Amino acid sequence: MTQAEIKLCSLLLQEHFGEIVEKIGVHLIRTGSQSLRVIAHDTGTSLDQVKKALCVLIQHNLVIYQVHKRGVVEYEAQCSRVLRMLRYPRYIYTAKTLYSDTGELIVEELLLNGKMTMSAIVKKVADRLTETMEDGKTMDYAEVSNTFVRLADTHFVQRCPLVPATENSDPGPPPPAPTLVVNEKDMYLVPKLSLIGKGKRRRSSEDDATGEPKAKRPKHTTDNKEPIPDDGIYWQANLDRFHQHFRDQAIVSAVANRMDQTSSEIVRTMLRVSEVTTPSGAPFTQPLSSHEIFRSLPAGYNIAKQVLDQYLTLLADDPLEFVGKSGDSGGGTYVINLHKALGSLATATLESVVQERFGSRCARIFRLVLQKKHLEQKQVEDFAMIPAKEAKDMLYKMLSENFISLQEIPKTPDHAPSRTFYLYTVNILSAARMLLHRCYKSIANLIERRQFETKENKRLLEKSQRVEAIIASMQATGAEEAQLQEIEEMITAPERQQLETLKRNVNKLDASEIQVDETIFLLESYIESTMKR
Amino acid sequence: MAGNKGRGRAAYTFNIEAVGFSRGEKLPDVVLKPPPLFPDTDYKPVPLKTGEGEDYMLALKQELRETMRRMPYFIETPEEKQDIERYNKRYIKVYKEEWIPDWRRLPREMMPRKKCKKAGPNSKKTKDTGKDTSLTNTEDVLKKIEELEKKGDGEKSDEENDEKEGSKEKSKEGDDDDEDEAAEQEEYDEEEQEEENDYINSYFEDGDDFGADSDDNMDEATY
Repeated sequence: MTQAEIKLCSLLLQEHFGEIVEKIGVHLIRTGSQSLRVIAHDTGTSLDQVKKALCVLIQHNLVIYQVHKRGVVEYEAQCSRVLRMLRYPRYIYTAKTLYSDTGELIVEELLLNGKMTMSAIVKKVADRLTETMEDGKTMDYAEVSNTFVRLADTHFVQRCPLVPATENSDPGPPPPAPTLVVNEKDMYLVPKLSLIGKGKRRRSSEDDATGEPKAKRPKHTTDNKEPIPDDGIYWQANLDRFHQHFRDQAIVSAVANRMDQTSSEIVRTMLRVSEVTTPSGAPFTQPLSSHEIFRSLPAGYNIAKQVLDQYLTLLADDPLEFVGKSGDSGGGTYVINLHKALGSLATATLESVVQERFGSRCARIFRLVLQKKHLEQKQVEDFAMIPAKEAKDMLYKMLSENFISLQEIPKTPDHAPSRTFYLYTVNILSAARMLLHRCYKSIANLIERRQFETKENKRLLEKSQRVEAIIASMQATGAEEAQLQEIEEMITAPERQQLETLKRNVNKLDASEIQVDETIFLLESYIESTMKR
Repeated sequence: MAGNKGRGRAAYTFNIEAVGFSRGEKLPDVVLKPPPLFPDTDYKPVPLKTGEGEDYMLALKQELRETMRRMPYFIETPEEKQDIERYNKRYIKVYKEEWIPDWRRLPREMMPRKKCKKAGPNSKKTKDTGKDTSLTNTEDVLKKIEELEKKGDGEKSDEENDEKEGSKEKSKEGDDDDEDEAAEQEEYDEEEQEEENDYINSYFEDGDDFGADSDDNMDEATY
């Protein structure tokens, strides 16, 4: 973990869970796994608070625990999972675009609570939706659970590891911590629940669950003592699946930009067909024959088979190699080279960063080195067609910022500079790492700036909140227009202006955080897929 | 070689012209300070993306941040008491719903102390032994006391008593032992009660008022 990442984790934890959790979490990130007592001792926090903080962190899947020998339980923070908190708005928005408001609320509740049982989610979401609806209308539980089932079928939500059922006959003291078991088969299996009801009421009907003995009992809301049918089966948002979706979206839009809408639609179809069959970390999708692709094209899309074949040949011939031809059987089988695609996207990101930071002439040199792999200084000057002095200047600038690296090849073993080749090259992986690190740093800076802005104007914000509360309560009691006006004038014009500025600044900083995270996503996916090979 | 080097000029093993300095040109100064915190940028940053999606995500982000603060997972630091109670504290007070973690999924040491104690093998042992002694010895002691009251002080009567109970060789010392044990038993009870009380306080009062040292003391209590 780099310092920048730890700093960012600390800011995120503090913003989401408060100071105490932040202290414990950052301590765990810094030191690795530790036991409860050591944490309490090293952080100088009372045991009770450490316990509470750990409970929160475990609930949100940010900390895992493991039983070591002699029954000591050690806790370990998941740093990369903490950083995912930056992406929560994007996950929720994706769920909204795919499964409308119900999906949005389901994913939001899961992210807010870390993990929940299905019945709790359905109830909460139905209640929340009912609240937003007009009077007299209610949200059906069945509808919410349908959406939930669809989310589970498409793997956007998954089961948390289960606590295995314990036998009471087991002699001796119970283990100090439960061992959680992942059941691969049931990961996305929705328990058969009879969640029938509307709005806030809830009743159940006959249930014919076969595989789930717990779900068999009918339940009544009036009796709280009744066991919950899916007790112990917790669900969490499957972030990897979301990432897969983001990646696919990025590839599709890249193809659309490079070629045209039709080809992007073909790529989208290929990705959709292989969505569930391809594991999320695979470098290629499953090979698809052109017939299969033709059959799976969306109904509204009228492309003749010949045209499709032409498109596929064109895509396969493209130098970026998003689509590759894996065989000739069945009219040609095609795959999508996910690894190459991510590499191209990361390279494009690097290129555009160079362009925006150093200008287009630097970008020309950068692309040149990228394309020719290794170049001597003299060659760079000549090929880029930039005066030698300027070219050197630019090259050194990029070298010092670590976008370009230098490879020495000595002719003699003494590494004498006069008898050494100096080759300039772009190491995409290390440049991507450097840029990723910078992104973490900038997000931490953005958050700090936002907190500073808010803190500076704390009084003003509190005042405006108070005035708003008063106005709202007066409106509720039916006050006169003049009175309301009077209260509104409690905030003076310059104050109003200051509030406006603050709001604009905070919005800008927040939006930047979200958009820097998009770059982080691309770079991380690329690094991850490269490391796997 | 030495001719083109000039007095006081550092000698380089390579041709400086290769790095872009013409002959006789002054080399830049050595940088001795870190780069500025807010360096000038040659190029203006590109404007942020805007659109419906971006706006919605922005709203989601801000809403999420607010909601997180109202969730039970947000643990607030106990703030120091202010001399003057601020008026708005009274009505701005956030309502938080109760959160009961699923203890089955958590290590046992996470549970609040009460349950831990009952489940702990150590405490069980002490309790068991305590019960045993109380069952056998308190009866003895009671009987003894009764008989002592009847017969008055006397070692012989004690011995007789002991004979009745079937322990012939018991002498005064044994008697003392018994009493000691009884006293110890009482101590146990006191301690346990104390601790349970302590525990209850810490549990319901959120434990915030207890410093780290009070916790330590509790943990080190002997059984």
